Amino acid sequence: MTDREINELLKKAAQAPHEVDPALLQGIAKGIESSLRPVRPLPSTWVLTTGLILICATVAVAGAARAGFYGFEKMNLLERGLIFPLLAILACVAGVKFVNEMIPGSRSWVSPGVLLLISSVLLVSLFALLFPDYRTNHFFSAGLVCLAVGLAHAIPSALLSWLVLRRGFAVSRVSAGLAAGTLGGLAGVGMLELHCPNFQATHILVWHTAVLLTAGGVGAFVGWLLHFPVGVSRR
Amino acid sequence: MPSIEFYGTGLCVLEQLHEQICDVRDSQNRIRIMYPESNLEMLMARYQGGDFAAATALVNLVSSQLHRFFMVQSASREDADDLLQETWLRVHKVRHTYRPGQPVLAWFYGIARHIRIDHYRKTVRTRAREQRLEETANVATASGDFGKAEGLEVLLATLPESQREVIEMLKISGMSLEEVARATSASVGSVKQKVHRAYKKLREAPSVVQELGRRQRVGTP
Repeated sequence: MTDREINELLKKAAQAPHEVDPALLQGIAKGIESSLRPVRPLPSTWVLTTGLILICATVAVAGAARAGFYGFEKMNLLERGLIFPLLAILACVAGVKFVNEMIPGSRSWVSPGVLLLISSVLLVSLFALLFPDYRTNHFFSAGLVCLAVGLAHAIPSALLSWLVLRRGFAVSRVSAGLAAGTLGGLAGVGMLELHCPNFQATHILVWHTAVLLTAGGVGAFVGWLLHFPVGVSRR
Repeated sequence: MPSIEFYGTGLCVLEQLHEQICDVRDSQNRIRIMYPESNLEMLMARYQGGDFAAATALVNLVSSQLHRFFMVQSASREDADDLLQETWLRVHKVRHTYRPGQPVLAWFYGIARHIRIDHYRKTVRTRAREQRLEETANVATASGDFGKAEGLEVLLATLPESQREVIEMLKISGMSLEEVARATSASVGSVKQKVHRAYKKLREAPSVVQELGRRQRVGTP
């Protein structure tokens, strides 16, 4: 069987009439009529993305302002000039991705999982390049504090972002959760870079990046929980 | 003499569009009315504005495609009817998420696909609870029962769901690669790959395809 013959078969099958019960269509139209009123379409992607970026930036800066900008003050110009622009770019990409996930039929150039992976690899590479101090003083005690602080800022950022897009409709809740978690995670990492003065490479590589990965994982898990239709057992 | 088919109401809107309508004859020499995507977009914008005639016209224009989409995914006619109703309920609820200028069919199919996946999960879980997993619906391929299923469904039943939906959208509904990619939340490259794999599988399943070809030559349903 050649491709041409398969095409021919598909074409013939496509041309065959497919009728839907007119009574069913009438019922659907009637159902629509009873609650039909004008609605306002969602704003454009760039407006929504700007809103998300502002929220994440506000949460990160507000958190750092409360805890102190020790990390930012300790960084040199090169470190500042590389870390924060990268975080801003990744946050923009994650914001666009989250908006796309909440609007059916949006363009998809990369899956949220791949985006999370790429973001983590880029951050790890940059941190490894910029911070050559490989001592591991207070690795767990200091690290767990940073993880908790980062997540404490990542989760509100993700929740507020979801509030902005609450009128959207996620065709895949796991992907939408993952994208929201990634965006929130980037806000958490941003806050830690502003605040945390611990420049030991292992600390930043492991614990700061863990905020991003954990937030993404939590977002995907919440999306997975929401995936189950109401009233159906998860067993 | 060819016949023209109109479905249901909403004709006043259709009449306004008649200058942009192109017609195509199907295998039975009937004229099938085809609407350019821009008309659907216009109807969608008016539907968002609360125009009931536009909503009715959209229901009449898009439902048959969506119904076929559900039928191709191994659903029975009753299931497809239910899924179509459920899809329109959801479409109505989230109609504000359509943004003018975006491909409207990709938007519809994105929602329809979500409804179908939810329905599939629900069915599998219900069946698991009733311990009747072995009675899954996907038996057309295994049994080779051409008498019960329609030709298209039999042909596509040899494919996994992800490839089947892509072939249905691309070859049956006439959507572009970009639209299929948007509807399935995938990249264009991924859609191309699925089509390639689907064709490979169809080439390797000659018994089904040849039987269909034979039936079409003989003219049996």
